[in-house]
Amino acid sequence: MEGKVIVITSGKGGVGKTTATASIGAALALEGKQVAVVDMDIGLRNLDVVMGLENRIVFNIVDAVKGKCKIKQAAIKDRRIDSLYLIPASQSDNKEVLTPDLMVKFCKELRKEFDYILLDCPAGIERGFENSVAPADEAIVICTPEVSSIRDADRVIGLLYAQSITPKLIVNRIIPEMIEKGDMLSHEDVVEVLSIELLGLVQMDTQVVISTNTGIPLVLQKDSVAAQAFRRIAQRIEGHEDISIEIPKTAKSFWKKLGLIIGIGN
Amino acid sequence: MNTQFQNKSQVRLKGVKDGFWVTLDPKLPMAYLEEELTRLFNQLQHLALNSRVILDIGQSDGYEDIFDNLAVFLKNKFNVASVSVPKKENDHMEGQSFKLNMSSSAPQNLANTLVISGRIRSGQQITARRHLIILGDVNPGSEVIAGGDIIVMGSLSGTALAGQPDNENAIIMAINFKPTQIQIAGMIAVDPGKPSSSPLSIEYAHIEHGGISVENYIKSNPFGRLTWPLVR
Repeated sequence: MEGKVIVITSGKGGVGKTTATASIGAALALEGKQVAVVDMDIGLRNLDVVMGLENRIVFNIVDAVKGKCKIKQAAIKDRRIDSLYLIPASQSDNKEVLTPDLMVKFCKELRKEFDYILLDCPAGIERGFENSVAPADEAIVICTPEVSSIRDADRVIGLLYAQSITPKLIVNRIIPEMIEKGDMLSHEDVVEVLSIELLGLVQMDTQVVISTNTGIPLVLQKDSVAAQAFRRIAQRIEGHEDISIEIPKTAKSFWKKLGLIIGIGN
Repeated sequence: MNTQFQNKSQVRLKGVKDGFWVTLDPKLPMAYLEEELTRLFNQLQHLALNSRVILDIGQSDGYEDIFDNLAVFLKNKFNVASVSVPKKENDHMEGQSFKLNMSSSAPQNLANTLVISGRIRSGQQITARRHLIILGDVNPGSEVIAGGDIIVMGSLSGTALAGQPDNENAIIMAINFKPTQIQIAGMIAVDPGKPSSSPLSIEYAHIEHGGISVENYIKSNPFGRLTWPLVR
């Protein structure tokens, strides 16, 4: 069976594409799948750092695409999860060295080796985006509950539809306390504007920073709410659509909630 | 008989593409020209509304003020959308092709309306030559442009430009009216930022007293007072 190519994109930068790619990739690998995560941000690579594999890079995607090395040489095996591989970006080239056609051909090769190929799309809608979208079968749009992020996600969704790809949505960095106070848009507001299928909701989690800095996959942290959300997302990607989307809630106790309702203790 | 013959030869009107071509001699007295134009445009009835008029005063330079006076006269009296001078060559060609069209087939209704269904997303732009109806939502960051009215059967959150370039009678209407910015003819209005009174109040924007004003469509019922159904 041929592997599936999924592009993870957002339009806007800094909304958590790279973290989501690493986490979903790791979660799918933990499900027993052969997974390749590909850093498409040529010239500004950082998926390798997030995964803690920066010191193992010998070859990169440009070498592999141009035939300077074999795919197996460019794919770096994760330190902890055996079936997870990273194909790093080149840091010295720019995005013009790859073309959509080259990427389609390259992904055709990758499909033979892996069950899932996750492409970490760079921010923006220029060449890097085109290169990432051209070979993709499916797309995941990451969006935070901010108007700027929603605006860019909306643009990207339009561009994906133009490529006949139906994207799914992950709302990232939800802070339930702020939504309760009315200071943040709720995921319903986001979905209302973007009107695409929701794949998951990820709560703001300080564990993400720790995991990124140490290079330990987030999904291995048992007590992280974001990790649990990403594992559920991976299961949904795998086709377990019966797994419900959990709405992030505030960690308030029953008595505090009661106090809020009757108007004391706040 | 003699005067009638002169009338025909000196103020003439014919239909061209999306408007009317008026040919006249600017040397004739103003009162006479106005009288003749009134007679011709009265015959057009509602077709004159918002039409584009090309006023051909021949090669006579130095009659710019006559042109301007007549343009104001036509706009005020018959609500035509624009009055312009003929372009070289091209417009004549257009006139001819239209004539051929008319002779070969039944006259078509020139008022055309573009109906779009779906969601207009950020970065997307929809342009209609005349009226535009969107069955769906217009998201922030998108742009809808029309020569006439814009009607959104859903939420209007993006930018809407109606009556482009100079139709001041155009309106913008939406079931959920919260645009980023609207323009009618050359006028611009922005979202004042206050939440709308009720999510289900259909509102519309139009030009009034030299500015854009937004009102509840059902309450003000702007077209309910018309004595006769008109083509927009």
